[in-house]
Amino acid sequence: MFFKLDSFTLVGINAIRVSVEVHLSRGLPEFIIVGLPGKAVNESRQRVRSAVINSGFDFPVKKIIVNLSPADIKKDGSFYDLPIALAILAASGQIKCDISGGSCFVGELSLDGKINPVKGLISMAEEAQKLDKKFFLVPYEIASQASFISGMDIVACKHLSEAVEAFTCRESIGKFICRDKIENISNRSNHYDFDFSDVKGQLKAKRAMEIAVSGRHNIMLIGPPGSGKTMLARRAVTIMPDLNLEECIEVTKVYSLYEKYVNRLIHERPFRNPHHTISRAGLIGGGINPRPGEISLAHKGLLFLDEFSQFPKNFIEDLRQPLENKEVIITRSHLSYSFPCNFMLIMATNPCYCGYFGDESRKCTCSQREIQKFWKKMSGPVMDRIDMRVNVARLPERSFINTETSENSNKIKKRIEKCLRIQNDRFKGKNISYNSEVGIKIINEWLKNDKKIRDLIYTISGKYNLTARGTVSILKVSRTIADLEESGIIGENHIIEAINYRVGYGCNPGNNF
Amino acid sequence: MKIGNKEKILYLLVDKKIKPTKFMDIYRQNRGNMNKTFEHFLKYENLKLNLEEGKRNNDNTEISMHKGDRYEYFKIIDFVFKNKVDLLCIGDDGYPDILKQVYSPPLLLFFKGNKIKEMEFGIAIVGSRKCTAYGREAAGYISGNLSEMGITVVSGLAVGIDSYAHKAALEGKGGTIGVLGCGIDIVYPPENKLLYDEIALNGSIITEFFPKTPPLKSNFPVRNRIISGLCRGVIVIEAGEKSGAVITCEMALKQDREVFAVPGNIFSPAIRGCHKLIKSGAKLVERIDDILEEFSQYQENLRLCSNYDHKDHMKPHARQDTGIQGNEARIYEFIGYRAKSVEEIVKYSKMEVKEVLGILASLEIKQLIREDSFNKYSRLF
Repeated sequence: MFFKLDSFTLVGINAIRVSVEVHLSRGLPEFIIVGLPGKAVNESRQRVRSAVINSGFDFPVKKIIVNLSPADIKKDGSFYDLPIALAILAASGQIKCDISGGSCFVGELSLDGKINPVKGLISMAEEAQKLDKKFFLVPYEIASQASFISGMDIVACKHLSEAVEAFTCRESIGKFICRDKIENISNRSNHYDFDFSDVKGQLKAKRAMEIAVSGRHNIMLIGPPGSGKTMLARRAVTIMPDLNLEECIEVTKVYSLYEKYVNRLIHERPFRNPHHTISRAGLIGGGINPRPGEISLAHKGLLFLDEFSQFPKNFIEDLRQPLENKEVIITRSHLSYSFPCNFMLIMATNPCYCGYFGDESRKCTCSQREIQKFWKKMSGPVMDRIDMRVNVARLPERSFINTETSENSNKIKKRIEKCLRIQNDRFKGKNISYNSEVGIKIINEWLKNDKKIRDLIYTISGKYNLTARGTVSILKVSRTIADLEESGIIGENHIIEAINYRVGYGCNPGNNF
Repeated sequence: MKIGNKEKILYLLVDKKIKPTKFMDIYRQNRGNMNKTFEHFLKYENLKLNLEEGKRNNDNTEISMHKGDRYEYFKIIDFVFKNKVDLLCIGDDGYPDILKQVYSPPLLLFFKGNKIKEMEFGIAIVGSRKCTAYGREAAGYISGNLSEMGITVVSGLAVGIDSYAHKAALEGKGGTIGVLGCGIDIVYPPENKLLYDEIALNGSIITEFFPKTPPLKSNFPVRNRIISGLCRGVIVIEAGEKSGAVITCEMALKQDREVFAVPGNIFSPAIRGCHKLIKSGAKLVERIDDILEEFSQYQENLRLCSNYDHKDHMKPHARQDTGIQGNEARIYEFIGYRAKSVEEIVKYSKMEVKEVLGILASLEIKQLIREDSFNKYSRLF
């Protein structure tokens, strides 16, 4: 009267195997779940009982003990409804298993036996693949999320009775197998409603965006209200290269943790634009059962912090480590959870409290002290990690109806793809993949044989009073500019252009006095 | 402790027994003889100078005086002693003669740095706290050149035009004097701390207010009379219609000083005060010579500068001077003195954005153009 099935639980972004063991014994009728079940797991007793009965089976009048092993890891969520139901039916002898050894199960049950979606399906599928499973029985609605994991069949069932059919009869399993795989890949073209050519004027900012995306440099847009900072930032995703399959899976993994109904592989670059009233856990990730925060949801994509100055100062400090490590580790007393967060940061801010500092047509009403106070909040370590600072000026009204067409996103995207390929070749075998990630050692190598460039750098850093980090930023950006031109070495013109994106009128108004 | 004129005046001021104007009257009647002046007060005004030192504690720190005016007096004496602040009173050597001519000069000055004693010829530069890039440039240009010629630049150590004038003047021979509207121990505004220290070292910081006096609104007009009093002329850069700078000019006129004003953009409200002054007779300043012309009678004081060839922004730069050519020269020509945006420049030059940005940055490094407001450039020369 014992039966055992495999299922999964989530630890951070990864899944680990959980054996669902059911033992029916004689005694007073009882239904107990052990193995550190959370509230949702404990409540699954009620769902399983109703679902079993409503699917036309008998619920055994026995003492039922369910053990979720390993028993020392806390389990929460509704993943275990389906495996518990199947295991009880099998243990009570009502059905006979045909596929158990090479299969695993996950799914939430409705009272009528319908199988509902769960979170983190794709992570579980990946783990199942590692465990050499043949079949993975999942909720029908979100099955295509997991269908890209190869070497294993995803069995999608709508109802407990279907799951029983697949479970008991290997021949009939074929009709449940999810075949979204082929269809999905061919449909993987991104279409956005907006395009870079929508932005009129702003030539400097647009060029800066192109460079920023090419070298994955974090960028800060500074400008008065209505100058088009948000517009530019939104359009940055349209010039980012398409995600490859591996990246798609990574992104989908994060999103499937965040919401249940991810019914496909996500193939757009994420663009996250959290409001500044966001909580700390919402931004970085966390909670009692840690969830990915906005920085993880922006994994492989863009995190856009609009009105950056409005974010609480300690949140900004919290970004430091994730920016460096590309992952965020949330430690609780029992376990550490890690979420990936390899994102590009775009920040937008007004130049001062009133917003019109440096604007031509409207006078700024802030005092110098107020402006310095405004910028003090942002100075320091985070600002150091922002390679590019670009001012965005308001356009004169007539420019909006300007009919001149500028380059569209696809054209820019092609250039950027080429630039990224060059970087990939350069950093092959190293631990980095973008120009923005290089350290001082590699930069020195670039400049080793070029005295002229070194002299130019001394001149510039003297003139603009640059810090060491500022100089490094300029060099990194000039490397990207050189790559965009497919130039092997950094030339003087590249460095001189890069100056534009670091120093200048709006780049740090606090120091302009 | 030796009790000199300074201590006597300080005591009288702390006591509020005399009015400074009254004192000045008597002082002038006695032709600047301090002893006679004091005698007069002791004789006719029934004043007592009760200046013997109070009892001190054994550790020589605390003054155990009975509360009252003398307590205040000793506190200030102590402060001056401990903080390396100097006192300068009206009959002393080194008290600027020009300041004595004012109707009500400060009887006592607290100061740091010796410039105030050495000053030969001063010109004040005053202006808006909220200045534009243009004002900044103008203040730096005028103040730097004046100081280079041996003229001391006097200003109010406020933010904006004042700080730029001080900063530029510090580098020249003439040096600079900052006049405070608060106690000498208070750095107001606080962001000028570095500038304050530097001026205290290489120039002079002066104030007539007692230590720990907060920067009250009412102090500033009082201070402005010292600024204009110390100088032969006052130059106004970027002043609004009702600004302190305009008040300083009114004082300056009462004190029989020259008033100069730097013109600006007619559409800008921030320059209205300057233009109003020009309309009512202030001299328009375009170049350093405009200022020097007015002081031809002081040739002797200005002898220091005779061999200094100041930079003149009016001199047109010949092409070979700037050393630029090709596209750089073309864009430089186009930019002109009215600010042009990057978009305009790109459209004109028909070049790619990246090239234009490169050229703009290199022109900026060569200090030929400057970014006026966001992404807008204009020529410097």
